[in-house]
Amino acid sequence: MSRLEIYSPEGLRLDGRRWNELRRFESSINTHPDAADGSSYLEQGNNKIITLVTGPQEPRLRSQASFSHASVSVNLNITKFSRMERSKASHRNERRVLEMQTALVRTFEKNVMLHLYPRTSIDIQVHVLQQDGGLMSSLINGITLALIDAGIAMYDYISSVSVGLYDTTPLLDMNSLEENAMSSVTLAVVGKSEKLSLLLVEDKIPLDRFESVLAIGIAGAHRVRELMDKELRRHGQKRLANASK
Amino acid sequence: MSADIITVVKREAGLHFANDLQFESDSDVEMSESEESNEKREAGEGSIVTPGELVTDDPIWMRGHGTYFLENQTFASVAGTVSRVNRLLSVVPLRGRYSPETGDHVIGRIAEIGNRRWRVDIGAKQHAVLMLGSVNLPGGVLRRKSESDELQMRNFLKEGDLLNAEVQSLYQDGSASLHTRSLKYGKLRNGVFLQVPSALIVRSKNHTHNLPGNVTIILGVNGFVWLRKTSDVDLSSGQNTVTGKNAATLSGAGRDYKPGNTSVSITRLEEESSWEIYSDKNDHISSSSRKTITRYSNVIKALAHCEIGITETRVVAGYEASMAYENISSLIEKDNMEALGQDVLNSEKMRGNNQPAAFETRA
Amino acid sequence: MSLSVTEKSYLHDSLCLDPPARPDGRVAHQLRPIEIFTDFLPACNGSAKISASDGSECVVSVKAKVVERALEEELILVDVDVAGQRDDSPFVHSIASLLTKVLNQKIHQKNLRLTQKYAFKLFVDVLVLSSKSHPLSLISFAVYSALKATYLPKLISSDDDLEVAELPTFHDYDMVKLDVDPPLLFTTAVIGNNAVIDPAHSESEVACSGILVTWSKGKVTAPIRTIGLNDEYVTGIDVTLLEKSIELVEKTAPAVVKALDGL
Repeated sequence: MSRLEIYSPEGLRLDGRRWNELRRFESSINTHPDAADGSSYLEQGNNKIITLVTGPQEPRLRSQASFSHASVSVNLNITKFSRMERSKASHRNERRVLEMQTALVRTFEKNVMLHLYPRTSIDIQVHVLQQDGGLMSSLINGITLALIDAGIAMYDYISSVSVGLYDTTPLLDMNSLEENAMSSVTLAVVGKSEKLSLLLVEDKIPLDRFESVLAIGIAGAHRVRELMDKELRRHGQKRLANASK
Repeated sequence: MSADIITVVKREAGLHFANDLQFESDSDVEMSESEESNEKREAGEGSIVTPGELVTDDPIWMRGHGTYFLENQTFASVAGTVSRVNRLLSVVPLRGRYSPETGDHVIGRIAEIGNRRWRVDIGAKQHAVLMLGSVNLPGGVLRRKSESDELQMRNFLKEGDLLNAEVQSLYQDGSASLHTRSLKYGKLRNGVFLQVPSALIVRSKNHTHNLPGNVTIILGVNGFVWLRKTSDVDLSSGQNTVTGKNAATLSGAGRDYKPGNTSVSITRLEEESSWEIYSDKNDHISSSSRKTITRYSNVIKALAHCEIGITETRVVAGYEASMAYENISSLIEKDNMEALGQDVLNSEKMRGNNQPAAFETRA
Repeated sequence: MSLSVTEKSYLHDSLCLDPPARPDGRVAHQLRPIEIFTDFLPACNGSAKISASDGSECVVSVKAKVVERALEEELILVDVDVAGQRDDSPFVHSIASLLTKVLNQKIHQKNLRLTQKYAFKLFVDVLVLSSKSHPLSLISFAVYSALKATYLPKLISSDDDLEVAELPTFHDYDMVKLDVDPPLLFTTAVIGNNAVIDPAHSESEVACSGILVTWSKGKVTAPIRTIGLNDEYVTGIDVTLLEKSIELVEKTAPAVVKALDGL
């Protein structure tokens, strides 16, 4: 078996994309109106993610309540069947999952206007039905959409994408094959700005290449924001048309 | 006939979730073309904005809900429509929990009992508070609340009990304080509860209506709805009673507020304030009334499904249209719900009294 | 969310009428409408998502693995995850073990047999995203649809491999549809002298008891058992009501099977 060619000399990747192309990105909001205050379904490449947001609501425990702002919790459920090979054990209490939950809470705590909802809690449930690389970025995009659907006030969109570095070429929005083959960065961008609200570097990246990685990442995240915005407006128009007929 | 027993909608390939999501392409996303123009534009009244979008850079506007202010510019913080009332600029979210306002007629469910107060779930971000001092107790309105009342609070209202009440005031953090100091308010009996999105209920002078078929409806502003058999109190409290075919015209006229009609003399009030108002027993309800209540309940669910603003007129119109379905149970099917919603809207167009839709009136 | 005393007594009285007046107007043997999506997880051999009109929703994935027949007792393993419940809670555990047992009983091992030595083992993973009433019936419908939409790789090596040390080999892309007839589980609620099928949340709250009835290959079979639908009202039930429940399922099940298969 020949070694997989991650990036061909002609400039094509394993799935036929060029270095700066995103995967297929489809989203819809308000998919579970009866089950939660806000919900979204996201397909980013082969990642398939359902996000449910309940709240702001009375906190389940009085001790969780804060007098000055809402508390945010994220419950990440990576299903056993989400990868090609089914995993035997539950992912629920894995250190990696707990870390991701914490990172997600931190990211959104800064962006949601928590001070508007004192003494309440906002609970986010994420179910990963299928994953294929760049999971963290898809989680962030899914949560952003579900929070907006719930009508929770936030400063701006948070859009996210992962970028890998193959030799000297940055590759945008990686799938799992690429993710396993090279070091990668996940970044989340606030709205149309160039501000990063999350930067995850879990492998070595040469510092002199870092800037080009960030540049394509930010451009990619902006494109993701546009796609999410398009879906939101489409949904909003439909509801308005519904209400005024 | 399988359709009588269960309806199964089955779609294969692709997870086309709710709301006819369109999968336009299988292709990856090109980076090159960007559809948005970068020029700054102001969002006009009624247009859709999304979080982080510039609404105006004119500093004369006061900033209401759903906006925030940064460097002399006003941005949207929620996805919704822009509303400009006088100098107040706000964004009305497309969706969200009920936010109480003083004077709202709401329905709530007792969640817990605390120190001289009940905490009531009204579907808002936080539970509302009903103070012991804000309810009528058996033995007359003017009676002082004693310590023994404090000890037997659970005998008046306990966890799970439903009541209707008025929002008396709002606390600093946005939560509501309720009162039930009127005959209109209190524990709910003789009926069923259902919940619709609060955005579909339009605030009006009167939220209790006697409907044809001897059924009374309370449309709580918070989206909680109570349907019950019409009682003597409902009939005597001077609410406009709607009957028969020309319901719409009648209710249109009855909408005018007549203060004399709803007030009850103080002696009556005292008579009514017996233990009976906290009774847990239902009156006798005939099976035909139960059927009528179920029909109304399915009509309201159908209206909610179609996202049509729920008003008394529409409920009555829907009820009349629903008579085409002899079997009440066929109203749980999506197709029939949509057809019913269409019927209601069509009948409104025929009459020519286009009622404002939920969004605009709420804004 | 608990109901008030008056709501409960209203519901109870309505359901005790003859015929029972259900809160959404259904007749006793009528189920709520459901929506099913199948084959949406390409990384699984079979998948289904089912949603009920009250917002209850359940996702099922089927994954297959080649195992040595001599080493495995059960060729189907069901794993259940209910959002908001701990994995080791008795509720979740009882559903998973019940489904594992029923599926292994009702689906013959020969359907999964591959060669003399090897067989497919099916891992059925159930994720309940939200459930208002008892989810068992909904889960079983989803499992049914997922198994009916399951495709397994086509075997191209020889069937007789008892003497040869050879692993089965498969066709590169051809798949074979799994041919099984999975059982369906129905729940009924018993109230007064009535039994109603597919109880909604409010009906469950006032039910004296719930009865689980299994339907497989055109008839009612074991297990038939009671299940607790609420903590408060549960009492013993009359045998005649058991018969009533079974009658209800016999009346309903063929139409449900037809609807699940037919579309």
